[in-house]
Amino acid sequence: MSLISVRTSCALAALLTLGACGEKVADPSTQYGAHPELPAPHNYLVPPMAVPQATGWGKDQTPVVPAGLQVRALATGFEHPRIVYALPNGDVLVVETNGPKAPVYRPKDYVEGKVKARAGSAAHGGNRITLLRDANGDGVPELRTVFIDHLNSPFGVVLVGSDLYVAATNELLRFPYTPGETHITAPGVHVTDLPAGAINHHWTKSLTASPDGSKLYVGVGSNSNITENGIAVEADRAAIWEVDRATGLKRPFAEGLRNPTGVAFEPQTGKLWAIVNERDEIGPNLVPDYLTSVKDGAFYGWPYSYWGKHVDIRVKPQRPDLVAKAIAPDYALSSHVAPLGMAFSQGTSLPAAYRSGVFIGEHGSWDRSPLNGYKVVYVPFQNGRPSGPPQDVVTGFVTPDGKATKGRPVGVTLDHTGALLIADDVGNVVWRVTSTGAAGRPAAP
Amino acid sequence: MSQTHDPTPPPLLHPLLVGSGAGLLIAAFATDVIYCQTLLFQWNNFSIWLLMAGLILAALAGLALLLDVALGRIEAMAWGRFAGFTAAALLALLNAFVHSRDAYTAVAPEGVELSAVVAVILLVLGWRGWSLRSVRHSQSSQPGTARS
Repeated sequence: MSLISVRTSCALAALLTLGACGEKVADPSTQYGAHPELPAPHNYLVPPMAVPQATGWGKDQTPVVPAGLQVRALATGFEHPRIVYALPNGDVLVVETNGPKAPVYRPKDYVEGKVKARAGSAAHGGNRITLLRDANGDGVPELRTVFIDHLNSPFGVVLVGSDLYVAATNELLRFPYTPGETHITAPGVHVTDLPAGAINHHWTKSLTASPDGSKLYVGVGSNSNITENGIAVEADRAAIWEVDRATGLKRPFAEGLRNPTGVAFEPQTGKLWAIVNERDEIGPNLVPDYLTSVKDGAFYGWPYSYWGKHVDIRVKPQRPDLVAKAIAPDYALSSHVAPLGMAFSQGTSLPAAYRSGVFIGEHGSWDRSPLNGYKVVYVPFQNGRPSGPPQDVVTGFVTPDGKATKGRPVGVTLDHTGALLIADDVGNVVWRVTSTGAAGRPAAP
Repeated sequence: MSQTHDPTPPPLLHPLLVGSGAGLLIAAFATDVIYCQTLLFQWNNFSIWLLMAGLILAALAGLALLLDVALGRIEAMAWGRFAGFTAAALLALLNAFVHSRDAYTAVAPEGVELSAVVAVILLVLGWRGWSLRSVRHSQSSQPGTARS
């Protein structure tokens, strides 16, 4: 859908006084931290949106980093890279993937398909994991191989001992791994099923392991924006699952998390944290996406309420008993930033200002006008808790006029030199951020 | 005019399309009501498809009406009925946007209210058929049925 037709629809909506185009949108900074400002929800004829055209990067173009940092492409030419993961020997895994084809249940699904194609989200995913080896840490890989091929929309990856776990969209798989290996031919061993099915709206399955390696945690997104596909298809979804490594048995660890796209353990306290994408279409500043510690057995509201006990009237029948249980998350990132990747920064070789916090890849969304996200931010931590507003680390993915995206950041991680790696699924690049002048030197062991 | 003495008026293209489109838009009111009663999402989806198909037929009906006029098959338009059908189509278009929302607010309250208004307009107009040719004109132009 073109920006013009969006504006025309907005004009129609405004004319009929049911829309709210041109409304003053509060700055995202009003929605950072534990107590975001939450405006009243609004029902639109056409929700506020802006769809930048995905263009890719020109020759020698890169994202923008602040003074003291530099950014270069580690490798290019991927097929929709979404997750980067560093193995202990320094090899980097790049998960190239996209979701299965979305069914058209409503005319809107067809329109959304066109919007996604324009924004670069419909591109073919490689359904494979590529290995990059940059042993001398100069930012130029000496080796690039297909590590695991023919996966079903993989996303999360985690290594525990010699077991490499891959979260495909429909199942958790285990592969045998020996250090230095560049290609795994052994078939994956089925560990447990993960919710997929015909709709599979939020298809990504994020993955991490507990510090002692005994449990795996899988983030499973909802099967809709806000139950428009019925409540039955939401079984086992919008939750973080705990999987016992020894037995494969699983249980819901926390629920009501609409789309937990990243899970990671905070290194100082050893507690589980997650990034979550909240619901759309009730306003440009609703609902804030968030970063939160994840409490065992907690319910975070979706679909019945948001940010604690703010009821979403789009859900019928309502569940006052569950709303009463709902707790607010810890830290708002502001609305529609679409956090898709997280990495705690302990061990980074970036300057001291980045050494105690979390990097978050904000993919950005078209469900807001003006745009928000489309950058990598750093949230500082003290004593295992966020201690300040998010800071921009990598920007320049979207043009200043907001009309085009050269790239969109997704997964983030630290490599063996402590550099920050970023998967860019529109530019099809893995970016590497280092301290100025530090790129050619591995960090001291 | 030579047609003045013809007892049967020329066949029209648009009434079938007006009537079928109206039928779908009236059905959308029924599926909206069923959704409100059952809260089963599939009835919500039925409504938006019925609205969309009804609007496509309404657009085709408009083209057919233009063709009927161009072919000289309509001596005089029933402008009151034209205004009523046009209003119903525009309200149904507005309702399609309302129905593009997710879950309950796609139907309640504005969606089912608009569906009800559209259904009432169409049933009242449809009671006298789906033609937009002025009945009064064709009656008055026939010998022996002259009225003021």
